[in-house]
This record gives sequence, C-alpha cells and structure tokens, in this order.
Amino acid sequence: MTAAAPVAPLSVARPAPALAAVRLAKSFGGLKAVTDLSFELPKGGLHGLIGPNGAGKTTVFNLLTGVYKPDAGAVHVGGQPMTGKKPSEIAQAGLVRTFQNIRLFGDLSVLDNVRIAAGVRARSGLWRSLLRTPLYLREEAEIRARARQLLDVLGIAHRADEIAKSLPYGDQRRLEIARALATRPTVLLLDEPVAGMNTVEKKAMRGLIQSLRAQFDVSILLIEHDMGLVMDICEQITVIDHGVTIARGAPASIQSNPAVIEAYLGVPDEPAPTAGEIGA
Amino acid sequence: MTKFVQLLLQTLTLGSLYALIALGYTLVYGILRFINFAHSDVVTFGAWIAFAIAGALGWASTGSPVFAMPVVMVLAMAASAALGFTIERLAYRPLRKAPRLNVLITAIGVSLLLQNAGQLQALFGKDPVKMPRLLSEAPLFKLAGVQVPWVDVVLVVLTIALVIALQWLVFRTKLGQAMRAVSWSEQTAALMGVPVDKVVSITFMIGSALAAAGGVLYGLKYRQLNQTADALWMLLGLKAFVAAVVGGIGNVRGAVLGAVLIAFIEVFGAGYVSSKMPDLFVFGVLIVMLLFRPAGLLGTPTVEKV
Amino acid sequence: MSARATPGVAGAALRSLYPIVIGFTLAYLMQTVVAVSIDDYYSKVLIDIGIAIVLGVSLGIVNGYAGQFSLGHAGFMAIGGYTAAAIVYYGSIKLFGTKAIYGGSLGPGELLLCAGCVAGGALAAVAGWLVGQPSLRLRGDYLAIVTLGFGEIIRVLIKQTDDVVLSEKKVAAASWWSLMDNLGGGFGFIGGPRYIDAKNPFWVWLFVVVVCLVAYRLKYSNRGRQLLAVRENEIAAEAMGIKTTKAKVSAFMTSAFFAGIGGGLYAHELGNSMRPADLGFQKSIDIVIIVVLGGMGSISGAVIAAIAVTLLPELFRSFAEYRMIAYALALIIVMLLRPQGLLGLQELWEVEWRAVGRSIVTAPARLVRWVVTAPTRARAALKAAADRRQEDRS
Repeated sequence: MTAAAPVAPLSVARPAPALAAVRLAKSFGGLKAVTDLSFELPKGGLHGLIGPNGAGKTTVFNLLTGVYKPDAGAVHVGGQPMTGKKPSEIAQAGLVRTFQNIRLFGDLSVLDNVRIAAGVRARSGLWRSLLRTPLYLREEAEIRARARQLLDVLGIAHRADEIAKSLPYGDQRRLEIARALATRPTVLLLDEPVAGMNTVEKKAMRGLIQSLRAQFDVSILLIEHDMGLVMDICEQITVIDHGVTIARGAPASIQSNPAVIEAYLGVPDEPAPTAGEIGA
Repeated sequence: MTKFVQLLLQTLTLGSLYALIALGYTLVYGILRFINFAHSDVVTFGAWIAFAIAGALGWASTGSPVFAMPVVMVLAMAASAALGFTIERLAYRPLRKAPRLNVLITAIGVSLLLQNAGQLQALFGKDPVKMPRLLSEAPLFKLAGVQVPWVDVVLVVLTIALVIALQWLVFRTKLGQAMRAVSWSEQTAALMGVPVDKVVSITFMIGSALAAAGGVLYGLKYRQLNQTADALWMLLGLKAFVAAVVGGIGNVRGAVLGAVLIAFIEVFGAGYVSSKMPDLFVFGVLIVMLLFRPAGLLGTPTVEKV
Repeated sequence: MSARATPGVAGAALRSLYPIVIGFTLAYLMQTVVAVSIDDYYSKVLIDIGIAIVLGVSLGIVNGYAGQFSLGHAGFMAIGGYTAAAIVYYGSIKLFGTKAIYGGSLGPGELLLCAGCVAGGALAAVAGWLVGQPSLRLRGDYLAIVTLGFGEIIRVLIKQTDDVVLSEKKVAAASWWSLMDNLGGGFGFIGGPRYIDAKNPFWVWLFVVVVCLVAYRLKYSNRGRQLLAVRENEIAAEAMGIKTTKAKVSAFMTSAFFAGIGGGLYAHELGNSMRPADLGFQKSIDIVIIVVLGGMGSISGAVIAAIAVTLLPELFRSFAEYRMIAYALALIIVMLLRPQGLLGLQELWEVEWRAVGRSIVTAPARLVRWVVTAPTRARAALKAAADRRQEDRS
C-alpha cells in the first residue's frame, strides 16, 4: 500500500475539520480579491461556495491549494497547517482539486491520466523503476488496479485507452474527478463540475458527487453556478461577493437571504445566474 | 584615469549596441510572450546587407560621401524590417495559438536557416569581410586623454535618439496604444477592434529595423563582419537577450538599463578583474538574476492564470 | 518485504537485468561478427549512428518526456568527453605507463575507458543539476537560453585550459590535480588512445542498449508518467501532488548523464577530433534535430532519426553543404505540419499503421482538394478583410 496521508493529531474534544480556512485575504495590486474569509468543512461534509461572476471563488480555490500565497490568514487540512506550502505538498496532504477550465494531460491516454495521479505517493524512485524491483512491480500493479477501479466508478472505463483530449466534454470532467480521487484525497475541491453540461448529464453528475462522499470517504467543497445543484446537494453554503462573505447557512436560509438576492440581482448589468450558465 | 574613461566609453558604446538589439527581444516578448530566437540573425543580416548595399552603391572604398552612412543605414533597416515581416508572417503567425515549445523550435529553425542560407555563395558567402569606412577615421574630440572617434559618438547619439523615438511611439501614439493593448491581452484587444495581426507585424518590423541599426553600427565600429553562422553573432544576440532579461523583459526602459548594466559588467570585468572570460560574468549575472528576481529589474512578476 | 526476503531473488534479479545480458550479447556480436564481416567504412558509419542514438535518446528524456527544451546537450557531451579523455589518457600513463591502447577486448584499458565514460557522465549529471537549479523553476524558453549560454560557457572554459596535453614523461611527475588544466585548449585533446574504431564498436553498442533500456523503462514507469504529466500540464501535475521541480531536475540529470557518456564514447572514437569548436551550439542542434524529427517522447523515433541524420550526409556528399539549411527547413516544416514530430509520443510498435496507410493513400486527394478550394478560401479571406475594413470605417 502507498503511505497514508498524514493524520492530524486529533484532539479528543472535537475532531479537526477536514479543511479549515482562517481569515484568508488576498489582493492583486489594488483589487481585494478575497477579504477575511473563514470557513470549516467537517469530515464527510459537502459544502458549497457560490457567488456572482468575479466574486473571487476560483481565487479561494487557488489560495486553498497553494497556487497563490495568501496575504494573511491560514489554511488547515485535517488540522495540519498548510499555509505557505507548495501545491504539490498540499495535494500530498490530501487536498486535491479539479479545474474550471479542464486541465487534463491531454496527449496521454485516459488510463495514464488516472495512473499518474494514483502513483503520486509511490515509493519507487528512479533506480527501482529502472531495475524493476519487486516493490516497483507491486506498486505498478496497484496503481493500475486503482486507476481501473476509478475509471469504472466514474463510468469511463470503456474509454481507458483513448487520448484524454479526444474525450467528449462531459467525460473530460469525469476524468478530472477520477484523476483527483486517484490521489486518495481527504478533501476534494470541485470547480464547477457541471459547467457546460446538459440536463441529463447534470443529473448523472449530481448522483455521482453525492455517492463519492461515502464511497471514497472524502469531504467535498463545491464551486458551482448551477443554483439548483448547489441547493440540492450541499449541506451548507457560503456566499461571497467581491471577495467578502455575505452569507452562510443551510440552502433554505440562503435562498431567502436578502443580501444574497441583492448580490445576484442588485446590479442591473449582471444577470442572475440561471441553470446551466457557464462561468466565465 | 585614462583607463577608466576608456572603459566608460566602451561601456557606453557597447551598451548602446546591446540596447538596440535588446529592444527587439523585449518588444516581441512584450507582445507575444515568446523569445524570438532568430533576432540575433536579423542583426547579422542588417550588418551584411549594409555591406552589400555599400558595395552596390560604390562606397566600398574610402572617400565615400558624408551622406553614405545615413543612406546605407536606412536601406539596411528597411531591408531588415522586410525580413522581420516575412519571418513573422510565414513562420510565427501560423503558430500563434500553438504551445510555446513549438514556437521556440520554429524560431530556432528560422535562426538556423538565416545563419546557413546567409553563408551560401549566392548571398554573403563563407568568408569574413571588412565593412567599408563610412565614417571618418579622425577622432571627433579628446576626453581626459582618450580619443573619441566619430563612430562612437554616432553610435551613442543614434541609439539615444532611437530609444526616445520608440518611447514616444509606444506611449504617445495610437499604434503604441494598440501595441500595449495586444500585450495586455491579445484576445481582448482583438475584440476591441485592434487589428492584432497588423500590430504584431509592425512590432516585428520595428524590432528588426532596430536590430539592423545595431548590426550596421557594429560593423562600422568593429569593421570585421564574420560569416553569418559564426558563433560571435549568436553571442552578441545572447548578451543582448541577457540585457533584456536583466532589465525586465517586455519593458523598453528595462532593456536599455539592462544593456548598459551588462556592458558595464563585461567591460569593467574584463578591464579590472580578468580579461579572459568576460562572457562568464554576463551569464553569471543572468543566473543570479533568474534566481533572485526572475522578472528583471524593472519588470513586474506575472502570475499564470489557473 | 524486500526482494531478499522472498525466495525468488534470482528470478527478480534476472527479470531486472536480463536486457543487460542481451545488450552484452548484441555488443559482443557487433564486435565479433558484424565488425569483421563488413567494410571498415560501414562499420564506422554504424558507430556514428550508435553515438547519435545515445545522444538523441538521452536528450529525448528531458526534451521529449519532461518537455523541457535544452540547447546545451553538446555542453554536457563536452564535459563527459573531456572528463573521459583526461581519465583515460592520463590514467593510462599513470596506471599502465603508456598512452597507447592497453590490453585487449575487455582488458584493463577498455575497462578504464568504461570507467572514464561513466565518470564523465556523472560529472555531466552534476553540471545538469547545477544548470537545472535556476532555470527549471522558470518558463521553458528561459531554459533554452540558459542551456545555450551554459554550452557556450563550457566551450569557453575548455578553450581556456592549457593547450599542451602533457607527454608521458611529464605526466608521471605531475599530480592528478594539476593535470586537470591540461585539456588541450583550443587545439583539442589530442593523442589519447582511441579504443573505439571500426573493428572495436563494443562499448558503443553496449551503451546504446543501456540508454534505450533506461529510456524505455523510465517512459513506462510511474516516474516517467510523472515527467509526461509535467510536460502535458505543469499546473495540473503540481496540483495532483507531483513535485514538478524535482521531477524536472531528475530528468535533466539523467539526460545529462547519458550525454556525458555519449561524449566519452565520441572522444575515444578513431577519427573524431575533440576540439571545443566541434562541441558547440551546432552539435546541440544536431541532437535537437534527432529528437524533434523522430518524435518528442519516442525512443524508436529518435533511433530512426539518428540513423537518418547520420546516413544522409554519407549518402549525398553534396548534402554536407546544405545540411544545416535542410535541417532548418525540416525543423520549421515539422513544427508547422506535425508539431509532435514523426512518431510523437508513440513507439514504432504502437503506431496504428492502418490509419497511417489510409492517410498516406488519401494524401493526394486531400492535396488536390486543398489546391482546388484555394481560390475560394482566398476569396473568402479577402472578403472578410474587406468587411472588416468596412466595419472599421463605419
């Protein structure tokens, strides 16, 4: 087996949340992209992060995954401080994402895309790989098996040998999720997983996201424009606008929150998000 | 003191030369975010075509008229601008949307093509030549015991004039505005009605004309023109590129600053530290710069969008 | 847990090393059967092909797999070559008391050659690590420029060394350390024993097998896939937990190691001159051509291209003059028409020949269609341009 993700020293009183952001802030030049953002994602939770276009949602993902360094604040994964670490270190700690603008390893096969992710914690280095030692062979077999299994779960096993960039759009999104799950994450960040999908595809994806939690023992944070989906499946929703948290709560309370309605409808230029809108 | 003034003068002339070449790298990089590998070969072309033009106009021997230098210079710049336009149109434009690696390899291909085609007997041939004396040999004036020849003064003054003209073009004209818009975002600029292809073409032509000016002045100063595939030309281009990077690639003022700095390090390093390997100092600076301030002295760090 | 604890130690060892046995056999056959039965000229061409394969396949590791473009391969080659040459020449004198070839096949002299090549490779790998530190953190085209500068620096440094390669008597008196400066300067390293010639191609073929084996096993391993991931999408690779900088540096070092070995072999081939001028930018480009034409990430592609690039100038004498022009055009055309190179990532045996055949068969028809529709497309383009001008005016 590959090494397990580092486990947080659990306090007896309250288990550490799977993911916690503490007063995160980031500005680009004069623009404050994110201001004083805090939230906690409990183990096994499924939370949503929504906001109008340009509200800073993807910036939040970039802060959490270490692509940007926050100006202030901290990120904890499973109770471990992650601030200032490289994206690869944060991913190894268990926080893995998908991308809004799909970033697959385009020229490689579907299977290889997932195999790469399944092998990130493999112990065989260059020498073992070149000598094909028993450990290496065992790890390769495990990686292959895990990749196959994930392709099965995501329903794209029949496309294993195709080139990733040649997949239809919906399957590319599935492959991104398969790839992320292959790294054995504790927290999965999904950046607009149903963007550009039709109703049927959306429905399938909704079922899939819900089933992932139990099946892979993973907590999920979701950015989505599709209100229907977010309201349906998320337990808690954080709404940000211009980088500021304007509301937080259960879907029902968000739907009736005047601040949220104003953020979406208040500015005449910005149309309210409708089902199926593709995020810019 | 005499040595110091002499080195200072060398720094100024060499720095001017580097600046003219570095501007071409920086302009193209600023707009298309790619290193025009073939730029140093346009410099070479400029120098050689000037030699050919001077020969064709009968100014190869001494005693050429006063207007010989400007005429040769302008014609060489025009020819190089045409070359730059052609390169961009045929080799780079089809790859505008391609991955960077492909554009880089194409640029290397273009560079090799220019180097080796230039050595064909039908073009410039395989042997080094001497650039005709288009400027007076006599020193213009004396400074602290150092004779300052015409060519040095022309080199420095012309460079300053060209840099000022370029600054004016980029920041004060409609074309410059379009260039800056394309540099900010090609797509947005296109949507706003900026004729992107045209702007890119003009940028290449300007950069190539400046490169030719550098090449001609190089020829007038050092006289010896090595064959086009000689490593010397590549090294000249490489150092100018280092200057552009050190100053902050994509930044016009940075290119000039970097050029003077690199020339200073090279000249004074050779003069006071070790005359054997001035190039090593230059590349040392490049590596230190890349390590500690990859955006260059005047550049702003860019963040790749995720 | 480890191989030692399980009963199949011998099996595991065999599985991991059997290609080396095959390599030895192949190299031995090349030496004892092929080299003696063909003309010396052809044997020499074969050796040149072998060295080109070592260089091309090794560059493919960093360029093809990791997608990092290096223009300094000749620099690594020079480091390896000069190291090996110095070790073999001065070592022969110190150890065997002669600068001539010493011992027969696999004799002490040849083992010194092998050690020299490996040491040269190791030093080249260290240099690769040094160069990789600053540049691999940056964007790809910087790497190209920095490696280009690096290659030039190596050339300049070697040129600065003392141009006297010491004679046998002097070497005996000199210390190892002081010999490091006597590398022949601008004249090149002359006078060393040339262990590799038309009748002795053994080491070249052994290292050809080794480099191909390493490249192959790397490509189809987890580590190799990580390199490909870096090449395909560095941001995604990092986000999945791959330490991209480390991966790139290790690819760079592996590549430099075999470039160094290639340099060591080159230095000891009869008839090659070992001058700084021969190991400059042009040499780097020769190797780049092999990788780009063959396919970025394809071992068999690099092998085919190495053969082609070595054979063409031999087949067409007049080709030599236009060689670089042809290469330049080839680079541009390949980038415009088939940017991934001849085979791309695929190996020869993975190609779907049916599809290739179909596309070749239909090529004339497509060409005709392209020519026939050219006026229509030109008209459309002109009209679009006119429309745009119209819009601009209004």
